[in-house]
Amino acid sequence: MMRLTCPFCGARELHEFQFHKTAPEPGANPFAAVYERVNRTDISQEYWQHLHGCRAWLYVSRNPSTGEVYQVHLLGTQS
Amino acid sequence: MSVRAPRYSAWSLLRGRFSGPGFWRPLWSGRQLQKAYDVVVVGAGGHGLATAYHLARDHGVRRVAVLEKRLVGYGNVGRNTTIVRSNYLLPQNHYFYEDALRRWETLSRDLNYNVMYSPRGVLDLALSDGEMVSLARRGNAMRLAGIDAELMDRAGVMKFAKELVPAGTRRFDIVGGLLQQRGGTVRHDAVAWGYARAASALGVDIIEDCEVTGLVTTAGVATGVETSQGPVAAGQVVFAVAGHTGAIGTMLGVPLPVETHLLQAMVTEPIKPLINSVLIYVHPHGEVYILQSDRGGVVMGGFLDGFPSYTREGRWSRLEDVVQSAVALLPQIAGLRVLRHWAGTNDMTMDGSFIIDRIRYDNVFLNGGWCYGGFKSIPASGAACAQFVATGTAPDLIRAHTLSRFASGHLLDERGGGPFPVRL
Repeated sequence: MMRLTCPFCGARELHEFQFHKTAPEPGANPFAAVYERVNRTDISQEYWQHLHGCRAWLYVSRNPSTGEVYQVHLLGTQS
Repeated sequence: MSVRAPRYSAWSLLRGRFSGPGFWRPLWSGRQLQKAYDVVVVGAGGHGLATAYHLARDHGVRRVAVLEKRLVGYGNVGRNTTIVRSNYLLPQNHYFYEDALRRWETLSRDLNYNVMYSPRGVLDLALSDGEMVSLARRGNAMRLAGIDAELMDRAGVMKFAKELVPAGTRRFDIVGGLLQQRGGTVRHDAVAWGYARAASALGVDIIEDCEVTGLVTTAGVATGVETSQGPVAAGQVVFAVAGHTGAIGTMLGVPLPVETHLLQAMVTEPIKPLINSVLIYVHPHGEVYILQSDRGGVVMGGFLDGFPSYTREGRWSRLEDVVQSAVALLPQIAGLRVLRHWAGTNDMTMDGSFIIDRIRYDNVFLNGGWCYGGFKSIPASGAACAQFVATGTAPDLIRAHTLSRFASGHLLDERGGGPFPVRL
């Protein structure tokens, strides 16, 4: 996985982005939302920020075992 | 049934030299998977093998199996930068890592296998006054615990690490450093092979190409594991799977405070002796550690790639960052060619300290969350984890490293960085 496609800026190099954390399960309690992570080897749904670009918060789903990126959405607009 | 490997000595090596190829036996014999064991250890890396070795040696557990998905030493025990040290800040960590360092000092004799412990010194560098204050704080904490630490000014660093004498213009000059002289390197593959050989000689079954796919439970108690070679009954199960710790949590239905990140390392072509110790510099945007292997290659590593991955394929920008930092410290190495680079999967916890605790069931144990400290802690982890499994009580050294500390607020936050493994 060398590039992510920002909805505003297009495909950009990975070092422009910062990974924040995996998205908590729906209805996770506050402790789980802060400390626990969803560790799946087939799909990972994550919060990222285009920190060194437009600074948009992104919702990325990708496969952490192959590096394939499935989708990048603006955070809050993911289905 | 067990094929005893010859005990190594100067005499046996000499005899082996003249006895022809039949003298050398496999270090651990290829045993068949049995139907039932007292303890099944999942993962034949450093921690799994050391745990099995101590279970058999110290606690007389008869039937122990180590099940490995791939090969002995395929994971992080063969992918690290071989550094051992005990220069930690928090008492719960530095007493534990000091126990490990003391065990490294005698490990070759204990295992009857040369692990090439080299106490060449680990030197943390400071390039600013603020970094000196931070190093002094850590050094003082170590000295209060009776661990060797020496704070050096610029002249002291330049005298100890002559390779740092400027061979070009250094953008930021060295202000000082913190030296742990007993720290250094250990030949990483030899640790896996030595533990496997010693455990095998004590009757431990080491089964490669045997993936554990599930846990078998009856009435709230684990009774065995499902594997790619069929079911195995087990009195107790220990998971020591490093980068796949989070996946084990998912398998057991226990979300863990763990993320899996890649950590890269690389080695250059061999050169004549240049770097005498292990040089470490942690800066606001990453870090770099540099040493020279016994073969002459310059080994370098740095910070995590920064997002969850199991690919073991590193990211290019991190590689660049490590090389730039290394060349900034040692301009002499700028022309060297990198021979190999690789990545390991690190199980990063939310406070930067490891976990050895029961997980979900009374007879299932988790040995994981090692962050950057996995390799250097192997001997202490094996001894402590084996004692926990055999006696049911966690030894004092790992009493604080529970899984429940995250919920109760008793975090061991060495870095003081909050619930994120990666925040630069």
